Order: sequence, then C-alpha cells, then structure tokens
Amino acid sequence: MESSDEVAVEKCRVHLRPGTLRDAACATLHLLPCEVQVNGPAPVERFFTPAIRQGPDGLEVSFRGRRLRGEEVVVPPGLVGYVTVMEEKGEVPVGKDFSERSSNEDEREEQELAEPPEALERDFDQFIGATASFRRFTLWGLETIPGPDAKVRGALTWPSLAAAIHAQVPED
Amino acid sequence: MDCGNGARARQHVFLLPEYLKDASKKMKSGLIFVKLVNPCSGEGTIYLFNMCQQQLFEIKVFKEKHHSWFINQSVQSGGLLHFATPMDPLFLLLHYLRKTGKEGKFQPLNQVVVDDMFPNCILLLKLPDLEKLLRHVTEEKEIDKKKYYKYSKEKTIKWLEKKVHQTVSALKINNINVSARVQANAFFSGDQVSSDKEEDYIRYAHGLISDYIPKELSDDLAKYLKLPETSASLPNPPSKKVKLSDEPVEAKEDYTKFNRKDLKTEKKNSKMTAAQKALAKVDKSGMKSIDSFFATKN
Repeated sequence: MESSDEVAVEKCRVHLRPGTLRDAACATLHLLPCEVQVNGPAPVERFFTPAIRQGPDGLEVSFRGRRLRGEEVVVPPGLVGYVTVMEEKGEVPVGKDFSERSSNEDEREEQELAEPPEALERDFDQFIGATASFRRFTLWGLETIPGPDAKVRGALTWPSLAAAIHAQVPED
Repeated sequence: MDCGNGARARQHVFLLPEYLKDASKKMKSGLIFVKLVNPCSGEGTIYLFNMCQQQLFEIKVFKEKHHSWFINQSVQSGGLLHFATPMDPLFLLLHYLRKTGKEGKFQPLNQVVVDDMFPNCILLLKLPDLEKLLRHVTEEKEIDKKKYYKYSKEKTIKWLEKKVHQTVSALKINNINVSARVQANAFFSGDQVSSDKEEDYIRYAHGLISDYIPKELSDDLAKYLKLPETSASLPNPPSKKVKLSDEPVEAKEDYTKFNRKDLKTEKKNSKMTAAQKALAKVDKSGMKSIDSFFATKN
C-alpha cells in the first residue's frame, strides 16, 4: 500500500470485470432535465413509469408537478450502454465477497483460457463491474422534447467522429 | 474516479464499444481504467486499456447542468454519460517522445516512456505494432537488434496533416456543420461561401486534433496547413482559454436559431431515428474543441 493517498490514486488501476459485461441485465434509463441531489433507491416504477403517456408528439410525464416531454434515444451503432458500480474496497470484506462474487464464481470455470493476469492486478487496485446494460434511454425535456441542438445529441455523434480522428493513417 | 464514498454506491453510465462484450468471453481480466497524462493539457486523465486485444480508449464525459438519471428503481445525480472510444496511442507516445526529443538523442522506448507522476504509462509499451506506429513521428536506428528512436518534428507534422484530412472526410460524411459564423459577405456572394468551405473544414479538424497535442505543436500544424492567423471576422481562438470563453456566445446565437427551427421541423424529423437526427443536425456553432461535444461551460 502506498504511504500517500494521492500517489495511490495515480498508481491505482480500476479493473472492469469483463464477465459482468456479458451478464448485465437490461435496464430502463431516463435522463431527466433536472438535478436530483441524491443517489439512491427511488420508487420509479411506482410514481414515474405509470404516469408516462404517449402524447401526439412523443412521451409525456410529470415530475414534481412539472410537465416533461421526452422521446426514446437509441445508443449509437456499435456501442452498448452499461451501468457500472465500483466495488466496495476491502473495508467490508465479508459483504463484498458474498454479494458480488456469487455470480462470478461459476464463470470462473468457463474461463480456463484466462490470459496471465501477470502484474496487471495489484493489491491496491480497485474493481468496477457492470450491473446493467441498455440499448436505448428516454431523454426528457422540460415542457418540450430536447431539440436537435441538445448537447446530449451532439455527444452521441462523437463516437463516429472519434473513430476518424484516431484511425491509423496510411504510411507513405 | 471516485471511490464510492460510503452509503450509496455511485453508478456510472457508460457507452462502450460492443466488441468489448464479445471479447469478454475469453478474458478474465484485462480491462483497466488508469490515469495517464493528457497529451494536450499535461494533466491526469482517465483512459481505458484493453490488455487482451491491446487497445487504448479515451474516456469522454457528457456533463451538462441540471440532469439526473433514473436507472431502474434508483436515482443518480449529475446525469453524466461516459463514452469510451478508441484512441490512437501515438498521441500519448508523442508526449513522451517530444519531451526526450529535446535531448536530441536516439533512445530505446522504455527510456522514453517514463513518468513518475503517471507510472501506468508503462502499459503503453505493451500495445502492439508500436514500431510501425512510431515510424510516423520518429527517426529510428537499429543497433544489435535493439530499436532506438528520436522524435522528428517534420514527420510528426506530416502525420498530423494526414490526421486532419482524415478528420475532414469524417466531418463531411457526418454532415457536421463547420462554418464558424455567418459572415456578412455570405449574404452577398454565394461563391465566397463555397470557396471558404474547405478551409472551414480544415480549421475545424485542426481544432479537434489540437485537443490531443500540445499548443506548440498545434500552432506549428496551423502554420503548415496555412490556416490564417486570427482575424477579426473569423476568430480562430489560439488557446483553450479563449475557446472556452468564446463558446457561450456562439452557443446562445445558435440556440435561438434552433428553437425557431425546431418547432417547424420537429414533425418532419420524427421518422428519423434519434441517432440519425443527431448526425444530421449537430451543433451549427463552429466550435472546434472536442469539449463542445460534451459539456457546457457556463
């Protein structure tokens, strides 16, 4: 373990558990046009989902008394959406090992072809796993559906442009 | 990366290349997020390595004020959307090559890619075809079957020029509007607009590439591409700071344009998929920084 926390962060590697990418169940995602300052469970199925109506121009719902309009946005081709969660550090080793590992255990046997993890994993490293996947999400705007100029839509064009910027150029 | 501060585990929403999922069948480990030097800013930035297929991905975050996620039966504040897209590792290698290049010596790669701040840079040395990549930006010597490299600015500029042209093609294919601002003469001379177009694309592409190289090199590239210096009518912001302060002004102009247009075109567009729409009508503000795809600065 590093003596200084800062150094540890720079040296730290966060390993994404590949098995979790395959097994992630499909999730329902909504991108709201407001900031909810909390992270945690919320009874979305009880209040939000049943209130969604199909209006003449897309979906309608209300949240905290405000009218929202939305539409489904598809994840760009070639990409998959994932929800990931950082695994707790060793502080609660028992809880971690039993809740997180149970599903990984059976996979371990299939993965006899595991490449040597040599030096890739160190004991101060952290782990992150996908808990859910998605192919589309619902984008919501206040009163109107977010227009074509919405920043999110711009961001979704990025992967196709990035592919060109980073493609190898031909040698002379 | 925040490291889960207690009670509520923070959920990250990611868009990852689909082939990582397929590749995951064969691997037990090997997808690693690490902090490495950002070749443009010199600051620490998170990248993703796929050690099995040996690829480097950069992580970009969509972050805009006033957003949150509902993820199944939970709420996640911030509304961040993370993108992992393949990155040319040469941009990162270039950072180190230029640093040691000042000594003007031929050096083996493992003496070039050294970093006390970001020791994970050694992962870069595990990427495949490094020798082939390095030929674009270095002179090399082989002594006793060992390769020695020296940074070549001339080669680098030529390589970057190819990158710019490659990006220009993508901008055209994706129909991204690159004209910085409507110029007064656009109203009077149609010819003027079309002849300016190619230069607009090159300037825009140069701006995108500049987010992966230090300012100094970006300026040299601009000269090589014969991009005009900042002029009054068509500002080509020389530094990031200027770019940032410039953005809100441009954005505001465009939002008003779009809002009006929206109402009329909304129905017509409803048959297109969201992705098509996004491709068809990206920002019209002529912003060049990659940041313009991800975050509002005001």
